[in-house]
Amino acid sequence: MDIGPMVSSLLRNKTGAILVALQIAVTLAIVINSLYIIVLRVEKINRDPGMDVDNVVIAYVRGFGDDFDVVDSITNDIDLIRSIPGVRTATVSNHVPLSGSGSGTGLRTEPDETIEAVPTGRYRWSEEGLDALGITLSRGRNFLPEEVDFIMGDSDPPAPASILVTQKLADDLFGDEDALGKTVYWGSMEPSTIVGIIGRMHGSWVGWDKLDNVVIQPGKPAYTTNKYIIRTEPGMRDELMPVIENKLGESNRHRVVKSVRSLSEIAARSYRSDRGMAIILSIVITLLIGLTALVIVGLASFHVTQRTKQIGTRRALGARRIDIVQFFMLENWLITTAGAVLGIVLTVAVAYWLEVSFELQRLDWRYLPAGILILWVLSSLAVIEPARRAASVPPAVATRSI
Amino acid sequence: MLAMFSYNIKLAFNSMRRNPVMTALMVAAIAVGIGVSMTTLSVYHMMSSNPIPEKSDVLFAVTLDSWNPLRPFDDDHPERAPHQLTFHDAERLVALAAGKRQTAMFESSLIIEPLGDDDLPFEAGARVTYADFFPMFNVPFLYGNAWDKAADRAAEPVVVLTKKLNERLFGGEDSVGKTLTMDGTRFRVVGVTDTWEPTPRFYDPINGGFQEVNEMFIPYSLTRVMELKSNGSDWGWKSEDIQSFEQWLNSESVWVQYFVELDSPSARDEYVDHLNAYVNEQKRLGRFERPLNNHIYNVEEWMEYHEVVARDARVLVGLSFLFLLVCVLSTIALTLTKFVGKKAETSLRRALGASRWTIFGQQIVEVGLMGFAGGLIGLLLVTFGLQGIKYLYDSTPGLVKLDWLMVFTAIGVAVLSSTLAGLYPAWRVCSIPPAAQLKTQ
Amino acid sequence: MLQMKQIRKVYRTELVETHALREVSINVEAGEFVALTGSSGSGKTTFLNIAGLLETFDSGSYLLDGRDVGQLDDDERSVCRNQKIGFIFQSFNLIPDLDLYENIDVPLRYRRLPKAERRQRIEHALETVGLASRMKHIPAQLSGGQQQRVAIARAIAGQPKLLLADEPTGNLDSNMALQVMDLLEEIHAGGATIVMVTHDPSLAARAERNIQLADGQVLAAETTGSPIEIPQAYGRENAGRLVAQA
Repeated sequence: MDIGPMVSSLLRNKTGAILVALQIAVTLAIVINSLYIIVLRVEKINRDPGMDVDNVVIAYVRGFGDDFDVVDSITNDIDLIRSIPGVRTATVSNHVPLSGSGSGTGLRTEPDETIEAVPTGRYRWSEEGLDALGITLSRGRNFLPEEVDFIMGDSDPPAPASILVTQKLADDLFGDEDALGKTVYWGSMEPSTIVGIIGRMHGSWVGWDKLDNVVIQPGKPAYTTNKYIIRTEPGMRDELMPVIENKLGESNRHRVVKSVRSLSEIAARSYRSDRGMAIILSIVITLLIGLTALVIVGLASFHVTQRTKQIGTRRALGARRIDIVQFFMLENWLITTAGAVLGIVLTVAVAYWLEVSFELQRLDWRYLPAGILILWVLSSLAVIEPARRAASVPPAVATRSI
Repeated sequence: MLAMFSYNIKLAFNSMRRNPVMTALMVAAIAVGIGVSMTTLSVYHMMSSNPIPEKSDVLFAVTLDSWNPLRPFDDDHPERAPHQLTFHDAERLVALAAGKRQTAMFESSLIIEPLGDDDLPFEAGARVTYADFFPMFNVPFLYGNAWDKAADRAAEPVVVLTKKLNERLFGGEDSVGKTLTMDGTRFRVVGVTDTWEPTPRFYDPINGGFQEVNEMFIPYSLTRVMELKSNGSDWGWKSEDIQSFEQWLNSESVWVQYFVELDSPSARDEYVDHLNAYVNEQKRLGRFERPLNNHIYNVEEWMEYHEVVARDARVLVGLSFLFLLVCVLSTIALTLTKFVGKKAETSLRRALGASRWTIFGQQIVEVGLMGFAGGLIGLLLVTFGLQGIKYLYDSTPGLVKLDWLMVFTAIGVAVLSSTLAGLYPAWRVCSIPPAAQLKTQ
Repeated sequence: MLQMKQIRKVYRTELVETHALREVSINVEAGEFVALTGSSGSGKTTFLNIAGLLETFDSGSYLLDGRDVGQLDDDERSVCRNQKIGFIFQSFNLIPDLDLYENIDVPLRYRRLPKAERRQRIEHALETVGLASRMKHIPAQLSGGQQQRVAIARAIAGQPKLLLADEPTGNLDSNMALQVMDLLEEIHAGGATIVMVTHDPSLAARAERNIQLADGQVLAAETTGSPIEIPQAYGRENAGRLVAQA
């Protein structure tokens, strides 16, 4: 209702208003874009890996010496681990999912070198592997014990008859067709048959866009360094980790236990930079909002003090307390809105710049109204106290001579 | 002149004291702006710094295109060759010795057997390389030296320890001549390097540009003898039947890094010719089925190739300078209100004879002083910020070092931005006519 | 119009109790032009504040236009001020960022009048004071006398029952002062009730009646308007009493 004269008044005394509006605009641009990045990173970290990460322990071991028999060592180690009460099962594996370390390859639906292979991660483990990670098969069957042999580190075994794939890999290979029972071809053009399909599972590299593509070969890989994937009963992981480490260490002096770590910790390391970015941006946003709020409060308070005489005059002319509060809140709202409008332009500009220069994901437009709403609320909250103070200026101020 | 300046400083302090809340807010705005932007800038600076400036344009990484005739190594950059060489190519190129110096290398690990009865065996990381590695990269030595080319040729089991590993094994003493059994072989220590943490780790950005340096160095020629496997990444395009370690070494898998030292631009050109000649020769043997595509990159080019400066670091620098802009805007707004509030005093001073420029100068000194204070506090915040980054990213100490350039930059940016922020308000204040505000409203 | 009976106003701070008005009774009939004189400290500003409902009083009664305004709350007082009273301040109190039109508009907006009516009143008021051509100017572009005339326009635009003027010519030179007084007499001639507070006897002489205040009490109400000499010693000892810290 009183917007007209307020706008002309603001226009006549622009500088303070422009500064605040500009600050609000830049703040909005930074906050919205940062918030978006944070949400994307958090979503990335919280993706369902398709495994029982909280109850999985990884042991890295390495044997040495001329008479070190790796097959015996692995067999004994796995048996030992399984005998520990609270351990559900264990397997040896070529690599550990979510660890950043893995093996990648490509599969084809035809034995034709000229067609592009579908990229995928590759694991090799025993029939205990699915249970060791808490992975569920959505269709088909797991490996049978007779399909699982020891594979020595330097040898290139022939392609296995049976393999497991994730649904995502199956979709990439066969589209809508049912992949169960179908044949796929390795780089060597040898075939394997898909006997089981995993609903979902993450591979080793959390930043890879093909993270959901995984193929599993049956076998017990025996390398120089070996990795055991161990699953504990729920809640027992922390107490069992040192137990596993000690028992393994004591049982064989020619086999070093390099480390025993939880899969949670391994995964957290892989997501370190995403988590770091989210935390840093959160701090930046908090500081920024705090600073802008303080500036709004500071400036509004200052203006109240500066305009004490004017407030008194208005009261003398008939303004009620609520009219004064509304006056200051409306003025603040006008400036905030001007800042928001400019802020929308800046936000889009910054989003575009981020997308083009750094290949970040395009900003989801819904963040704009959300950000503006938060801004309005914050700005109104910031000005409540100065507005309240303004309303308590007594009308008698109008007749004072200084 | 100096008296005037110190008078201004005194006035500035008085003015700041009179309104502590406003002053604190303004200094805080600058400090926070500096804290955030200088933290990210410092990290970016360290990430993009030249780790070996005295030699960065004579050292070159070598790439040969031995990849699949049907498709390029990198679909996003089809003009590039694979970033590592095959074992076989690397060995032969070193033997041909066409550069001033050259070396091939990869990462591996060995089990060090216990020295005392109570110790346990443990695994340590090793860089498997040639003698030239050390002079090429200016690796500093604490004790002893690197091995020589004769040791390379004879595949002698010698080892150069890093300072850290030497401390763990031998308590930091001069261990040259001592022996060590690793993976069943007796090694003799020939040297111990001093602290060497090139940031970024330019000679192996493929396996992590900011990882800890490997703990020891052993000769490349031991690879066959000890059947050393690479811990780094390996890539292959060809399906090959590999049933033995020798077959693995002769395969087309690429997993070896290669560097050459070339003194002059003409040496550069000659070397590329040499590479091409080698590849043509190999073509006659049926390898290198792709067209000639061999490149060499100096250190800075190699860092760029691998995008060693993380994308997130660059994003943060951009965002944090926008943040600094907000802080500057805050400062302008606050300074303006502060100065406007001093209208009465200012016009009194003018009435008493101060010129416009005197008033202007006084305001600038005040604002500059606050900027300086903000810069100092901001630097303190930067040290916290860098520690935070180190913790969050578990990075090497080299990455979160605050060098003097950054310190001066921080103070400079603080004073400059606060002075700029204060220009307009100062001009507004000194434009007040004398005694204009002496009358009551 | 204005009926104050036995009005008392005491200001209390931690150390001092000031009796600003003591049992003051003042009557102003509709259509009168009354001057209230006294030196500083006499209580005339307090009287003005109470008359204008800018402040409350401690005891007594105040009937404005027949209505008992003593028990009104803050909001009701504001509404009453807006509708019944027009103020003319010593330092004009125009809002610097608004032009003349917008300045006069302020009290009209608080009254929630429709736009057309406000426009009509503003234009009429500006014409009355002779500044219709400067409607879009801001106060800084006007002389002191012109600013005060705008303030008068603001005061009369709402057609108040009572005009309260506080030293209306205090900040003006003698020429402008004359112009403003002429204007006030004109408005009075139109039927307005004016109470003017001043310390200047020559100004007071232009009113119909003169009430004198000293030390918070009414001294005399004379129709001729010539001031009475105030004996210096009168009642000074009652002016303030130190209240011991309890």
